[in-house]
Amino acid sequence: MPDDSQPQGRTLQPSGIFQPVVIEDIQTKAETGLYRIRGYGTLRQRRWATFDDLTFLPCSLTRIPLEGYREKCSTTTVLGKRYAAKPITLDIPVMITGMSSSNTTGDGGMLQAERENSKTLVYEVLPSRYGINVHDLRRADAVELTIGQGAKPGTGGLLLGSKVSATIAKQRDLPVGVDQRSPARHPDFLGPDDMIIKIEELREATDYQVPIFVKMGASRVFDDVKLAAKAGADVVVVDGMEGGTGASPAILQEHTGIPTLAAVCEARAALEDCRLYGEVQLIIAGGIRDGVDAAKAMALGADAIYIGTAALIALNCNKALYVADYHGLGTEPGYCHHCHTGRCPVGITTQDPELAQRLDIEQAAERVASFLRVMTLEIQMLARACGKSDVHDLEPEDMAALSLEASAICGIPLAGTRKIFGI
Amino acid sequence: MGEVNCDGRSTREINAEIKQQIKHGATDILVRNPGARHNLGVAVLEPVAIRLEGSVGYYCAGLIDGPSFDIAGSAGWGLAESMMSGRVVVRRNAGNGAAAAIRGGTVVIHQDAAARLGVSMKGGMVLVAGNCGYMAGFMGQKGTIIVCGDAGEAFADSMYETVCFVGGRISELGTDAVVEQPSAEDAEFLDSTLAQHLPSEVRKSKPAGRSFKKVVSGRKLWNFDKQEWKTWQEAL
Repeated sequence: MPDDSQPQGRTLQPSGIFQPVVIEDIQTKAETGLYRIRGYGTLRQRRWATFDDLTFLPCSLTRIPLEGYREKCSTTTVLGKRYAAKPITLDIPVMITGMSSSNTTGDGGMLQAERENSKTLVYEVLPSRYGINVHDLRRADAVELTIGQGAKPGTGGLLLGSKVSATIAKQRDLPVGVDQRSPARHPDFLGPDDMIIKIEELREATDYQVPIFVKMGASRVFDDVKLAAKAGADVVVVDGMEGGTGASPAILQEHTGIPTLAAVCEARAALEDCRLYGEVQLIIAGGIRDGVDAAKAMALGADAIYIGTAALIALNCNKALYVADYHGLGTEPGYCHHCHTGRCPVGITTQDPELAQRLDIEQAAERVASFLRVMTLEIQMLARACGKSDVHDLEPEDMAALSLEASAICGIPLAGTRKIFGI
Repeated sequence: MGEVNCDGRSTREINAEIKQQIKHGATDILVRNPGARHNLGVAVLEPVAIRLEGSVGYYCAGLIDGPSFDIAGSAGWGLAESMMSGRVVVRRNAGNGAAAAIRGGTVVIHQDAAARLGVSMKGGMVLVAGNCGYMAGFMGQKGTIIVCGDAGEAFADSMYETVCFVGGRISELGTDAVVEQPSAEDAEFLDSTLAQHLPSEVRKSKPAGRSFKKVVSGRKLWNFDKQEWKTWQEAL
């Protein structure tokens, strides 16, 4: 008698709906009684248009390219030209986004070491106001008023208790070991009308010297960007749904917000609609992997780019070191998204002093610097090939769309046609 | 004593004038005709006394460290928000989010406070002689909230370690808010604090320290527990 319990000789047929990953998800929720929480950002295999759906159209006979490595191609980036007495001038158009410590201070306030080691440091004013300190605010080169972030727009931050160490608890005025849930709304303003006054307060507090950024998760980008610009922001930061996070409910990372490609297009259209394109600078964030993504975002309208996860990867995130510890987390190098556990095998997203020692700060910083240099070279390479002597001169007509979706979203002709689809 | 007249001047000019007078040694400044203007006295970082002869708008005395403000009228939203140290007194009412996210210092409101009093407080104290609106103390991390009158809905919701005292009726407790009997030390603290911060004509009708209710966090939201899912479901 054949054994029906064995699938020998037959192809296993999973349910199209209740696939093994869904079964595991339901059974885990049934066991824990809690929604799934993790870090890193969306894990979806992409089915929406991305920057990969665009290609550059370098010069041939209609345009003249610049000589690579010889002819100048400026990367100088100025942010905050609208109202600030001291706009930020950057050598390159790439910055590292707020991740508790980076170019932007992130949640938890400014660290002394951060200020001392940063030529340009943006002070983030978040809904939680953890570590808010007027003296630090006044030491910053810009202030970023954060409304939301791409990984989880419309919700507050989350830091699981395992990461709320004594140091973190002191910095944030919290009890040690609590699951820190941050508020979703600012404590002292709600809508865009109030934000006008809030921005004026931040300008008063900084003597009108430094630029005020407004950062938002990519949701109703067209309307939100217009409201932020009209509220008086010098710079608007739009963080697409591919943006990462240290910890967040998985469903928010997978099912909220719009992709970065769509976000940059809406943001540009919004600034053009209120005649502030060029006057208000646009920073784009969310899953930017290299100079190619950055150049495409800039061609679509971004003045500068924030990177987050890519910078962590340059530090060593997901590198095949301490592999046994990846296995201990139930994962592998290249697949790890366990920032929320505080058990980062390579010592980046952790407050454990022993794990943190695994990251050689000097070497890691040099790797990030190298990565930023390479990103810049890649942007310049594409700009020169398109005949631009300034990376900010890249424009939509330097590209063709490789999918109908990208053509419709970006307003760029589909390759092989002269048509913009979706109009 | 320094004096700044707000009439016909922009907020930027007024604040610049206040800071200029402080720079030139003024320790006591009278601000005349504030006209409910927003952002007056933002980010004053010196231990000076600033008196405002009327009502003020949003964020008055926001982001300060050290000064003493005395506001003769009412205040708009975000009074003294993110203050690090100092003292802010409002003789009449305060709008939403008074003392929001303060890290230190004292805010005293002689009449009523609107919604979201002392949300996300990280230290310091806010004392309201009258009533407060809904969601006072929401996500309070540290510090002390004292309301001599009645408190609105969702009082002390989702708190960490802020301690609240209410002299009147609490319309509705927030999620994970727990009422405790104040200790003898609490009662003594309340009596002495009211005596210290409220003028006798404001203080005379207020309850004695021992009759206040003390509200603290039940700590059920500090770490997720599936047995408490109903609480989490209803958390604001």
